[in-house]
Amino acid sequence: MSVQERSVEHVTCLGCGCACDDITVVVQQDRIAETRNACALGATWFGDGTIPRETTVNGRSASLADALVEAARILRAARRPLVYLAPDLSCEAQREAVALSDRLGALLDTVTSVAAAGVLAAQRRGRAGATLGEIRQRADVIVFWGVDPAERYPRFAARYAVEPRGLAAPRGRNSRTVIAVDVEARRGPADADARVAIAGGDEVDALGVMRATVQGRKAGDDARFRGAAELARRMSQGHYVALVADGEPGADPADPDRAEGLVTLAQALNAPTRCALVTLRGGGNRAGADAVLTWQTGFPFAVDFAPGFPTYRPHAGAAALVAAGEIDAACVIGSPASVPEPLSGGLARLPSVAIGPRASAASFRPGVAVDTGVAGIHDGGTAFRMDEIPLPLRPPLPGPPTAVGTLRSLREQLGA
Amino acid sequence: MSAAAQLRVSGGKVYDPANGVDGQVRDVCIEGDRIVADLPAGAPRLDARGMIVMPGGVDIHAHIAGSSVNQARRLLPEAHVADPVPAPRLADGAAARSGTGGTIPSTFTTGYRYAGLGYTTAMEAAVAPLAARHAHAELDDTPIIDAGCFVLLGNDDYLLRQLAAGEPTRARDYAAWLLGVTRGYAIKIVNPGGIALWKAGGGASERDVRGIDDPVGSSSVTPRKILEALAGAANALGLPHPVHIHCNNLGRAGNVATTLASMRALAGQRAHFTHLQFHSYGGEQGKGWTSAARDVIEHVNAHPEVSVDVGQVMFGPATTVTADGPVEYLLHASTGRRWVNIDIELETGCGIVPYSYREKAAVAALQWAVGLELFLLARDPWRVVLSTDHPNGGSFLSYPQLIRLLMDRTYRDEQLKQVNQRMLAGSALLDGLAREYTLSEIAVVTRAGPARLLGLQHKGHLGAGADADVTIYSDDPDRARMFATPRHVIKAGVVVVEEGQLRRAPAGRRLAVRPEYDAAVTQDVRRFFDDYACVAFANYGAEPVA
Repeated sequence: MSVQERSVEHVTCLGCGCACDDITVVVQQDRIAETRNACALGATWFGDGTIPRETTVNGRSASLADALVEAARILRAARRPLVYLAPDLSCEAQREAVALSDRLGALLDTVTSVAAAGVLAAQRRGRAGATLGEIRQRADVIVFWGVDPAERYPRFAARYAVEPRGLAAPRGRNSRTVIAVDVEARRGPADADARVAIAGGDEVDALGVMRATVQGRKAGDDARFRGAAELARRMSQGHYVALVADGEPGADPADPDRAEGLVTLAQALNAPTRCALVTLRGGGNRAGADAVLTWQTGFPFAVDFAPGFPTYRPHAGAAALVAAGEIDAACVIGSPASVPEPLSGGLARLPSVAIGPRASAASFRPGVAVDTGVAGIHDGGTAFRMDEIPLPLRPPLPGPPTAVGTLRSLREQLGA
Repeated sequence: MSAAAQLRVSGGKVYDPANGVDGQVRDVCIEGDRIVADLPAGAPRLDARGMIVMPGGVDIHAHIAGSSVNQARRLLPEAHVADPVPAPRLADGAAARSGTGGTIPSTFTTGYRYAGLGYTTAMEAAVAPLAARHAHAELDDTPIIDAGCFVLLGNDDYLLRQLAAGEPTRARDYAAWLLGVTRGYAIKIVNPGGIALWKAGGGASERDVRGIDDPVGSSSVTPRKILEALAGAANALGLPHPVHIHCNNLGRAGNVATTLASMRALAGQRAHFTHLQFHSYGGEQGKGWTSAARDVIEHVNAHPEVSVDVGQVMFGPATTVTADGPVEYLLHASTGRRWVNIDIELETGCGIVPYSYREKAAVAALQWAVGLELFLLARDPWRVVLSTDHPNGGSFLSYPQLIRLLMDRTYRDEQLKQVNQRMLAGSALLDGLAREYTLSEIAVVTRAGPARLLGLQHKGHLGAGADADVTIYSDDPDRARMFATPRHVIKAGVVVVEEGQLRRAPAGRRLAVRPEYDAAVTQDVRRFFDDYACVAFANYGAEPVA
């Protein structure tokens, strides 16, 4: 080991919502040289830890003080400002961002807007769930509903749901039955013990048939749904069933009825047996944003402070209001590269402030950009796993200004 | 730095039962954040003539922060839309926060509303250790009130293993270690063993315990063993608050048997039994309910080592939120209401069902009556604390209404006439309970008693050296109005409510314990983590990381 090499243990990776906290990061000469235990997605997320440290006003380098004065001017001048929370923020930075939104009377939205179907279904119906570790301890039947976690959540199977041994799964993978539900092209894992194929257009009806089957109601005998009904009977016979679905948007637009069908099927399975629905979420502390917004405002996303208090606009979030021309300035906090289209395109037409990792490289060319560290790599604090288990961050590298510190300074600049 | 601020609250009628002061007119002197014996004559005054002065309220049991509370908040968007809360206008233009209310307000609103009610301390009554960092983050965003966390134990796999192995000493060391790393204040048991069975899976017959000698996995682990081990641990560790117990069979007809059996199992040991109302029913499941309040409160009256809070049901909206997963499943199955269940790895559970108690519903009326019976038949108010198990039996905002029910027999009898009578036969309330709580007794059940039971020596009284947490009320004959709208509230010497308006919102303090333990236990826990946990041992708990 060279004198300049050091390693940091128990680092939490926020490359996806798994938030694996067993990463050892080896640092050589202020670069990340190795990320032990990380998957390929995680290693890419960490990279070598180098990050731009620009502060710009109208594209030109500026002091942080000048940038904050200009940012405050843009936001103060706005009649209808938007604050948008992108990923890669600690909960502490998210808390500051909500405070800023409250102060500005802004519309506050987050990337959860594009995963809204699942959140809204859970608000209408509730949900039967479990933390990921409980799936590991208990599940003897695991159904992957149109998702192969290997793609976007690479260590999910190895760390939580499938392979590790648990209290009620002493032989790990061999204690469990894995069933893949292939919904058109959305296929479950290749190595499943059994597969059920469902046509895309039949998905919601199949969920309804399954719930009816679980509840012992007549569900007809349409040949299209025989596989689904048989799966429902198999699930009813499990001892502890995990139903795993992807909460993040895919190629197809999210269907609210599908989300509700999954929620109510999992709930119904708690009559004959135990069942938990696992909704997979992406990285960068998205679950933290939902939690912070909820505790500070009562709503998990799409919060409008314009009346002087928080109101809920789940069907008229940032993308809709920017497209409608209602928003006249924006403050994007977090990694702007993760702002989804069409919002990102819409922001290019507005005066904007970007505070976050690689803000200076934002495609929408913010009037003010302050590059900050990435939560978990350069910024410390707390982040939530996709199941909302809080984890401390152990940033292996020093960074540019922190997001939380920059936001505090901006709030002071705004006189609040 | 200038000398600590001084304030003389002068000429009020003081109710300070811990110091034997019962409505005498006297001054309360404050210097900095403490009560002092006297102040120079020229010290600033707050004129309290004609007003009633009490210590700040102390809530011994409420659900206000953390993962389960926040899941419940998320489930209630329409209740939040219906109760918007603009930011209060604080003195000197200090920044304040807007929020939303309903049965589970946003964090800032929670702090403001407690202070506006004259409460200056509240205990968050159910924190899963794994999510303790979350609970503390929410409490950091809950201004004004001092707060502590009760940490959930008694369904956690590590503890049950120690009991199965006959290792009560290690169980005690584990509890001590856990309280320290989670920055907890007390040990909380919810449905001992029942949540563990609920999480173990399978069909309807095997998913909860029924009696305190039912086996939980191993025949050597029973609710009785769990109660004995943790009550013994809390007492041996010298914790300021004894073990805080939510008994088995919450909300079931006939549960009086388990409640009394649990109390007898711990006879001679300090123990606090929470939301007793939900555990004081006679009758039989499926065959009807009756009040068993008299049996339960007589046991409490006769056993000075036992303390309770009532968990009164108040008519109107509520949100049931508890670690007791199997109970919430039953409530969902029987009502069809929205339901959240979250099994929390290796530790505990979480269940949520939004609810509403209606006067015309027979069970709700019985629950309401049972709570009042417990209050009115209690002989020692120091051991019978006012609570609604917020938000389970109703919001903390309903405390003033509850106080009026206790203080005003005419009002209470009128209310009694309005409720469904079907299950009230045998209720002492129906026989006509004449008792009316005095202001001094209200001061006991809302501040002096809970502070003493929590071991908060500087709270719940106005003697020299106490925290300068003081509530000043107008002497309004409508006691509900009086307690709902204090004229002034002082927290740690800062006047937070002035003439009924919230004017300052300083951060509250965290109440936590750090008991001693044999460090050898951490090696064993670490091995257990290596085998089963999905969180690194180093990342567990709620302490700041280096």
